[in-house]
Amino acid sequence: MSVETFVTDKAGLHKFYEAVMASRETYAPVEKFGKFDFKRVTRLTECDPESPIATTQSIKPLFFPRSAKVMKYLATSAGTEVSEVDEDPLAVKRVILGAKHCDARSLQVLDKVYNWDYIDTDYQKRRENTVIISTRCDQAGTHCFCTSLDYDVENLDAMDVVIVNGADGKIYIKARTPKGENFLTELNTEYRILNIESQMSEEDKYGEMKKQYESFTGSFRLKMDYKEVNAKLSKIFDTPEFENVSGNCVSCNTCAFVCPTCHCFKISDEKVKDTGVRYKSYDSCNNGYFTLMAGGHNPRPVKYRRWRQRAMHKFVYYKERFGENLCVGCGKCTIACPVNISIFEVVNQVSSAAMQE
Amino acid sequence: MNYTKQIQEIAAKLFAEGKIDVFVGYRMNGFDDNQVPVLITGPQEVSRLVFTDKSVFNLVNYLKTDHTRRKRVGLVVKGCDSRSLNLMLTESQVKRENLYVVGICCEGVVDDAGRKMQNCTECMVPDAVVSDELLGTPSNIGLQPYAVNPDIAVLAEKPLPERAAYFEEVFENCIRCNACRHSCPLCYCAKCCIDQETATLYNGANTTSGAFHALMTWSLHLAGRCVDCRNCEKACPSHLPLHLLHKQNESVIYENFQEHLAGVIPGDRGAFYKYSMQDPDDFIM
Repeated sequence: MSVETFVTDKAGLHKFYEAVMASRETYAPVEKFGKFDFKRVTRLTECDPESPIATTQSIKPLFFPRSAKVMKYLATSAGTEVSEVDEDPLAVKRVILGAKHCDARSLQVLDKVYNWDYIDTDYQKRRENTVIISTRCDQAGTHCFCTSLDYDVENLDAMDVVIVNGADGKIYIKARTPKGENFLTELNTEYRILNIESQMSEEDKYGEMKKQYESFTGSFRLKMDYKEVNAKLSKIFDTPEFENVSGNCVSCNTCAFVCPTCHCFKISDEKVKDTGVRYKSYDSCNNGYFTLMAGGHNPRPVKYRRWRQRAMHKFVYYKERFGENLCVGCGKCTIACPVNISIFEVVNQVSSAAMQE
Repeated sequence: MNYTKQIQEIAAKLFAEGKIDVFVGYRMNGFDDNQVPVLITGPQEVSRLVFTDKSVFNLVNYLKTDHTRRKRVGLVVKGCDSRSLNLMLTESQVKRENLYVVGICCEGVVDDAGRKMQNCTECMVPDAVVSDELLGTPSNIGLQPYAVNPDIAVLAEKPLPERAAYFEEVFENCIRCNACRHSCPLCYCAKCCIDQETATLYNGANTTSGAFHALMTWSLHLAGRCVDCRNCEKACPSHLPLHLLHKQNESVIYENFQEHLAGVIPGDRGAFYKYSMQDPDDFIM
C-alpha cells in the first residue's frame, strides 16, 4: 500500500513543519553570520527549511560529523585501559528538514563506501534513524550541475519525503521510500496533514510535479556530459593542464570540508595527563600534509598533483570501484572556495584540453 | 578605479623584455562580475588580466606557493597588500630583485554586494608603499588618525558574559578548514604549529575547543603583523567575523607600542620583533 500524495498550501506546509518538529528531533537550516547550516531546531521561527540560499555544508555532518569521539582511554604506567565513548547524540530518531536533493543523493553515494570493506556501524545507525525531508529546488544556483550527473534528479529515492512547489501554486508532499511512507502515515494519524485536494488523481499530481521539474531543469547554466568526462579523464593522468587549473588554489581544506561526498578523515588524540579521547575528524587531500609520510617523503608535494587526485577520485577512481561519480553537482565547493575554483570547470577544462593534444 | 589596460600593457612589456616568468593578477571569474586571482605564465594570456574595484584578493599570498618560488614574479599590489609585501621582504621570505611590483593608489575595493569593504572605509595607507611602478594618483594623505574599529567598540561595551557567548558562537561555527590561514599572505610557515600531529600542545580534533585554540594562536602570531587586508574573512566559508580578533590586537599594539602599524615603513620589523625603551614594561614588576 502506498501513501497518497498530499496536496496542501503555504499554511498547511507550515503546519506540517510544526508537526514534524513536535513529533521528532529536527534539524533544519539555521542562519548564522549570513550563512545557513543544519542545526537542531525546536520552533519554525528559528529556521528556514525553504531557504533558497544553499547551506555552507550539506547534511553530511549529521551522519559523518566534523569530529567524532572514537574511544576514551586511560594510560598509566600500569597499562592502558580503553573504554567506550558516551552515547552517540546523532543516533536518535530524527528528521532533517529542508535538505536539497543533492544533499540527499550524497548519502546514497557515501553508503557505498561505508558498506564496503568495513561496515561503519555508527554511520548505519544514524542513517537508519533519520527521515530526510527534501524540498525540490525551483531554480538552479550559479554553480549547480546536478542534472548533468549520473542520477535521476526527478525520481530520486535518496530522500524519504519530497516536497514540491507545484507549477499550479499548490504544494505536493510525497513519500519516496517505505520509511517515508511510514513516517507520513504516523504523522497524519497524529496531527492530520492538511489535504486541500482530496479528489485529484495521482496522475494529475505527478503531472504537476513534472511541470515544476521541467521548469527547474531549464534554469541550469552549467551542463556537461559526465560519461565523456569519465572516459577522457581516465586516459590523461599525465596532462600538464592540471598545473594550469590549480594555479590559484591556496591549498586550504575548504572544498573537501563542505563537500557532501568527501569522506577522508584523520585520527587525533586529545590528552590531559593520563586520560585521553581519540577523535576522528575531517581531512582533505588538497592539504599538503595529507600524504606526508613518517620518513618525510610526500608523493603529492605540489598543488597540481593534489588537484589531480581530487578530480580523478571524484570522476574516475570512485566510478571504477563503485559505479558512481563522487560528485553530486551541488556547487558548494565553488561557493566556499576563497578563489572560486570550480570542480566543473576543472574537469571540463582538463578533459577538453587533453583532447586537443 | 580601472587599471585593466595599463596592467595588461605592463605585463605584456615585462614578458617581451624577459623580465618575469610569471605574472600574478586578477581575472574575471567567468560567471558573475567578481574576480579571482590568476597566475599568467606567458604573453598570450595577458588579455585575461583585469583590475577594477572588484580586485579584492591580496595577491602577496601567492608569493609563498610552488608556482612562484625561485621565479621572477610580477604582481599587482594595493595599499594593504603592499604592507604585507613589505613584511615578507623584511622577514626574508622573498627577494626584492625577483619581483616587479605594480603598485596601485587604491580608492577602496567593494564586496560581492557592491558595498565598500569595511577595511577600505578605515584605510590609513591607500597608496602602495612598495612598487616599481605606481598607477593612479597618490592621495598623499599621510598617516590618518587611528580610529578603533566600530565593531570592536560595540563589543567592548558589552558585559563579559555576553562577549564570551558571542565568541563561543563564532568558534562553534568554525569548521576548521584553515582557509583563513592559507589565504593569509603572512602565514608562510612550512609547517604550522597548529598542524603538528604528534604534539599534544594543540588540539588536532575538529572541535569547538580546537577551533578556539587554532584561531587564537593564529591571531596572536599575527599580532603586530596583520595588515588588515581581510583575505581571511573573505575566504571563510562560514563568514565568521575574523577581523575582530585582528583589529583588537592591532588597537592594543597601536596604543602600547608607539603607534606601530605593520608594514608601513620598509625594513620596519613587527612590534614584537624589536626592542624599544618606550615599550611598556609595567607587567614585569
